[in-house]
Amino acid sequence: MEASVLLYGLVNSAVLMLTALGFSLTFGLSGVANFAHGSLYLAAGFIAWMILHYLGLPFMLSVVLTIIIVGILGAAMYRYILMPVRGIALSEVIATFAVGVAILEFFRWAGFVTYDFNLPSFVKGGVEIAGVDVDYQRVIIIGIGAGLAALLWYFSHKTKIGLALRGMAQDEYTALSLGIDSDWAAAISVGLGAALAAVAGLAILPLGLISINIGYDVLLIALAVTVLGGLESTTGLMVGSLILGFASVITANYLGPQWSEVVYLVAIVVVLAIKPSGLFGKFKELEERV
Amino acid sequence: MLEINSVSVFYENALALNDLNIDVQQGEIVGVFGSNSAGKTTLFNTIAGLTLHLKRREQRKGGERITITGSIRFQGEEISLSKPSDRVEKGIILCRERHPVFRDNTVEENLRLGGYMRSGSEIKESLQFVYDLFPPLLRLKNKKAGMLSGGEQEMVAVGMALMARPKLLLMDEPLLGLSPLMQKEVVRAVKKIRQQGVTILLSEQYARPVMPIIDRGYVIENGTLVVSGTGQELMDNPEAKAAYFGM
Ligand SMILES: Nc1ncnc2c1ncn2[C@@H]1O[C@H](COP(=O)(O)OP(=O)(O)OP(=O)(O)O)[C@@H](O)[C@H]1O
Ligand SMILES: [Mg+2]
Repeated sequence: MEASVLLYGLVNSAVLMLTALGFSLTFGLSGVANFAHGSLYLAAGFIAWMILHYLGLPFMLSVVLTIIIVGILGAAMYRYILMPVRGIALSEVIATFAVGVAILEFFRWAGFVTYDFNLPSFVKGGVEIAGVDVDYQRVIIIGIGAGLAALLWYFSHKTKIGLALRGMAQDEYTALSLGIDSDWAAAISVGLGAALAAVAGLAILPLGLISINIGYDVLLIALAVTVLGGLESTTGLMVGSLILGFASVITANYLGPQWSEVVYLVAIVVVLAIKPSGLFGKFKELEERV
Repeated sequence: MLEINSVSVFYENALALNDLNIDVQQGEIVGVFGSNSAGKTTLFNTIAGLTLHLKRREQRKGGERITITGSIRFQGEEISLSKPSDRVEKGIILCRERHPVFRDNTVEENLRLGGYMRSGSEIKESLQFVYDLFPPLLRLKNKKAGMLSGGEQEMVAVGMALMARPKLLLMDEPLLGLSPLMQKEVVRAVKKIRQQGVTILLSEQYARPVMPIIDRGYVIENGTLVVSGTGQELMDNPEAKAAYFGM
């Protein structure tokens, strides 16, 4: 394999993992498939842009503020929109998808449709690795992906909140009988997933222009990665990202860039047809899920 | 400490608890005895607030399947409409039937999670107590709880409940599925837990193994109280005898 395919495959895999991380985490912790994921990702881009341009705050501060705002947005979405339909999977999907479309169309209505919107890279410039030019932002994305994976492991194994969320995901009634509140846990996990969508958006959007359709693409990617890797499995998330990351780079390289999106769709259809639980998914009893 | 006044629970139109009156005094160990589907778990889940949680969950979806009536007072306070977490805060802790644990977590993670509502120093203190009570857990503390034997999981489950620092500990069939030796261990542990000032309400199908430690008992069938009294009083009652000896 050429060095460029190897390197860009790796970068692309990190991009996919980061893109799907929040979606997968929320689903694993609370069983909510957040179809507003892509919209939250995109909203993070526009919010950061607005903070930078209208308020003129320093870059790092804008980033942190954006992540917090989007996280709160996610938790609020749970509290005011998802809570009443909690446990009815189809209604949850419809409700989150509706919120997602509303967010995207709001930005379209508000005039965020021109080619003026982009976010600054964290660091300008690039390096040459094994004869291939890579900009720093892509290297940073790999770093953020690895860093977040470590951080999330620590959060879910060592902190009180993380343990409580995992406990709630494993056995709701036992968690309840120890005093963990189920709505609180679900709101936190949706909020956390939204914050991760924001992190992904802020790290990845600087690679290009921000446009509304990215919201839909991101949702497609998150679905493809999690469906392939198996919902709620961390190993699956990584392997799913690697497979799709390389598959789409190889496809783009040999068949042409217009084919790389098709890879995601094909992956979803094939996996659902052959092994619906994904490569690493465990089938859970339905009553455990609800 | 706990006063249950004419509590009834209906699932659809089936009566799971029928106008029950039960009271537990501070420092007592009280037993609730009954055969399969007598309503023991429903009673415990109703005291812990899980039945109310399920009812509210179903109501959100538009169902009216569960009806709960009557009053539950804890330390003089009406709690029948409180969330499970509020009841835990007050000190009512349920150790569920079949001693479920968090299988993907280690033993120590399970125990720490038990202390979810409590402060760091309280967790430390309780952890020491639990390891003293069940020494095998110390050796197993980094093992995944799902890998443990049934008896070991029981210790983890009871340990978790203790980590929550109960004032009133509800134990739903703590001896279920345990070997006679392990049953003795649990009975011994229950006695020690009471010595810490914890009031205990426990359920069993057969009373014999817990006979030596209970102060009083209630026998329920089909959600209805059959007889109540001290151990000796139950023994002398022909209807209750069946519950004791399985005849
Ligand atoms: N969630 C529920 N929905 C409908 N019916 C239920 C539900 N939970 C319990 N029941 C019914 O209520 C009755 C009492 O059940 P419960 O679990 O309280 O009995 P139990 O005394 O704990 O029995 P066991 O000794 O088998 O554990 C049973 O007839 C059961 O079928
Ligand atoms: Mg039961």
